[in-house]
Amino acid sequence: MNPIFPAGDFTLLAIIIALPLVGAFVNGVFGKRLGKEAVTLMALSSVGASFLASVYTFFALRAAQTAEQAARFHWHGWEWMRLSSRTDAMGAGSNVPIELAFSVDALSGTMILVITGVGLLIHLYSTQYMRQDEGYHRFFAYLNLFVFSMLVLVLGDSLPVLFVGWEGVGVCSYLLIGFWFHEDANAAAGKKAFIANRIGDFGLLVAMGLLVYYCGALDWKGIEAASSSLAQPVKYWPIGTHVPLAAALPESAANWLNAPRYASAATLVSLALFLGAAGKSAQLPLYVWLPDAMAGPTPVSALIHAATMVTAGIYLCARLAGVFVLSPAAMFTVALIGAATALFAATIALVQNDIKKVLAYSTVSQLGYMFLGVGVGAFSAGFFHVLTHAFFKACLFLGAGSVIYAMHARIHDTERSQDMRHMGGMRAFMPITFATFVAAWGAIVGFPLLSGFFSKDEILFKAYTSSVVAPGDGKLHTARGVIDAFVWPSWGPTVLYGMGVVAAALTAFYMTRLVIGIFFGSFKGWTVVPHWKEPEGDPHAHEHAHHAVEEALEGPAPKESPWQMTLPLVVLGLLSVFAGALNAHALFHSHVLDTWLEPVFAHAQSGIKLVENEEALAIPLLIPSVVVFLLGAGVAYWMYLMAGGEPARKLASAAPRLYQLLYDKWRVDELYEETIIGAVDSLADFAAAFDRIVVDGVLARLTALLVRASGGLLRLLQTGRVHVYALSMVVGLGGLGWFFVAPHATASLERNDGAGAYVLTAAPGLGYQYRWYAEGEQPQDFGQQHTYELTIDKAGDTRKVKLEVKNAFGRVDAKEYVVNRAKPDLSGLPLTIDVGQGADGQLRGDVRPQPGAPQ
Amino acid sequence: MNMLGKVLEHYQLVASVIFVIGVVGFLARRNVLVQLMSIELMLNAVNLALVAFNRAHGEDMNGQVFAFFIIAVAAAEVAVGLAIILNFFRLRSTVDADAADSLKH
Repeated sequence: MNPIFPAGDFTLLAIIIALPLVGAFVNGVFGKRLGKEAVTLMALSSVGASFLASVYTFFALRAAQTAEQAARFHWHGWEWMRLSSRTDAMGAGSNVPIELAFSVDALSGTMILVITGVGLLIHLYSTQYMRQDEGYHRFFAYLNLFVFSMLVLVLGDSLPVLFVGWEGVGVCSYLLIGFWFHEDANAAAGKKAFIANRIGDFGLLVAMGLLVYYCGALDWKGIEAASSSLAQPVKYWPIGTHVPLAAALPESAANWLNAPRYASAATLVSLALFLGAAGKSAQLPLYVWLPDAMAGPTPVSALIHAATMVTAGIYLCARLAGVFVLSPAAMFTVALIGAATALFAATIALVQNDIKKVLAYSTVSQLGYMFLGVGVGAFSAGFFHVLTHAFFKACLFLGAGSVIYAMHARIHDTERSQDMRHMGGMRAFMPITFATFVAAWGAIVGFPLLSGFFSKDEILFKAYTSSVVAPGDGKLHTARGVIDAFVWPSWGPTVLYGMGVVAAALTAFYMTRLVIGIFFGSFKGWTVVPHWKEPEGDPHAHEHAHHAVEEALEGPAPKESPWQMTLPLVVLGLLSVFAGALNAHALFHSHVLDTWLEPVFAHAQSGIKLVENEEALAIPLLIPSVVVFLLGAGVAYWMYLMAGGEPARKLASAAPRLYQLLYDKWRVDELYEETIIGAVDSLADFAAAFDRIVVDGVLARLTALLVRASGGLLRLLQTGRVHVYALSMVVGLGGLGWFFVAPHATASLERNDGAGAYVLTAAPGLGYQYRWYAEGEQPQDFGQQHTYELTIDKAGDTRKVKLEVKNAFGRVDAKEYVVNRAKPDLSGLPLTIDVGQGADGQLRGDVRPQPGAPQ
Repeated sequence: MNMLGKVLEHYQLVASVIFVIGVVGFLARRNVLVQLMSIELMLNAVNLALVAFNRAHGEDMNGQVFAFFIIAVAAAEVAVGLAIILNFFRLRSTVDADAADSLKH
């Protein structure tokens, strides 16, 4: 069927992934010398070729997939490492090979189209947007590296390979957020994103460990095959047998603390996975990094922080849908956090003035929708929103970038050039940007028949109609009896749906406010003077001097951006309008995407329960969506355009504290600052004080003092007078001479207690002669015999031996040696005690070693 | 066996006297050249003792060979010592050993 690229060895995947890496390498290493034209060519061609290969892959997949059988193409690199998992129930310890393998199926095939396609458009856009930047080649090297990492993430055939891409996109995100690192705020934003993501990565690592333990596999197929073993109950509390110190509490409290608690393995794995997903996809409570990430260049915000990287969390949940559906508790958590994030971020977006900040909070909110969809088991609906969101949010960000680009003609200050209070009336100056921005606006607010309308409605519809039940009989069979698994509360769907609808109303409001703020009303950036000319001298230095005194600016009419920037806008705008047709069930019964993804999620459908007669609810549930869109957009239209923003100001002054709270983003950053960062800082302060007092003070100073004192003492000896040194040599020589002249009767003893044999050996010396004699013997003549052997027959006995030494000068020294044969150590040996009554009537015990014991 | 007989003790006495003269000379005099000569006295006293012992006790020529070694080493030592004294004189314009006290600082 596919002669060049067989399904089992689909080498094209390697090409798709490697091309952006080559681009990143060339641009990163040689970019500075190559020049801008060559860098542009390299970056665009590598991503472009990768896009073409992705398109080919996509159609090959379409041709291969049938309704029953999911198509999946593999490319296997090499074995990366091998883990061993625990011994399974069959008694065989299994190896878990981790292969560097990639695979593509309907889900990832669609993702790579978005990554390379939207990526290509944004690369093209960036060639113009970043034209003036000194780090042009560096920017494209990072951007290409990002595309590479994202492709690894999506195409990886196992969690570890996905994790490599996951970390890769994290690094690229860090590098690109802090791209203009000369400003501290940008570098700090990059760091914040990186650290917040680390918390999520911890969850992902834990999930991998759990999967190795419970499933014995980390690749998608292996996890799917072993997912039944995830239904087993796991005791997660107390760790060990009891809670330490619980006994000190009152008995009821101690019992409550010590009561064992169980969850299914799937719940633990899913929650750990979701922690990872929440970090990457900016969900509560880890979302704080994403708004700050807008410090990076706008194309980066569009590509990484709207269209692709932040959807990696949803991709992960969808990819492991088979694990998630096994745990109603985890699914409910995902849905609830998703809905809460959607609502929470939308409230913040209501009052922000920085247009990129509005879009950032909007992204957090939309990501919340996607998790709501995934959480209620509507994986394809969640993924549908990923798709449409990639189009319309990329379009919005690029449109915002286009506006900022125009604003930069006269306002070079980043903060001011992104503030919608300085904009207005851009509709007349930038018609293409305006048209595409409005198209994307329509999509995100749910303007009927546009893409976002269908995808958002699909999620809300599923939130109301679908829930998740535990697999099997819905019970956990623990070691302590059968307990019920978590059951979704009956209010769940209604509440989730309600939160989603309210968030949709807020979305309509703040997006309409954004569009009006940028494009309608009168232009407030500077006074437009026809045929205005740039004054002589360095424009930047000039501008900054002017900003300081807030002098009224004059300048030319804002210009529409060049074609490299408008073309991506037009393409994305068109996609935002029409992409909804892929899955427009509610009105047109179009199921293209659902059908396409169905085989991927087939195994994840088991636990999903739909309300009765759900199809009939499709149209009634559509009505609130339209109503809230009209309501939100209408109120914003009235407030900001018809009444010129007066009602908004009144509202803000009526509830100044609430307004300030929203404007300060609920002060979550400040909360983190006070609690977590404060705690870490205190710890650091403590460590610094410890270093200062104990390490520097005690250890270093004390050591130095000791060395100095001993040095001072020794210095007294060094007089510098040659005679003193010579005298000390003479004294030493005399001592040495005396030692040699005097004889020394020293001997060493070699013991053998077991046999009772002992050998005494006398030390040698100049002209030494020896004589030995035991106690009671007569001394003999001196001789050359320097060893003396003696035998002691009975343990415990002692013998005395005398050694006399005569040296060359005839002087004699004598010493007596006492040799004692030690009794054998019988402690620890088996003994018998014979107890009997003696003649005197007293009890007595005789101890004797048992037969066979050594004497 | 003992060709020198009691005479060995005389040799040893002479050697010891010369050695002590060397030691005292080295310690008592301040002139570096005289100190160098005292060192030579000590070395030659040792040579004398070695040769005498070898003659009295030795079945081989070890002691006398050893004396030759000492003579060779002493020659080298004198060469180095005189060079040091020469440089020392150039530096300090004196040959007084007490002037060589920079090690103290």
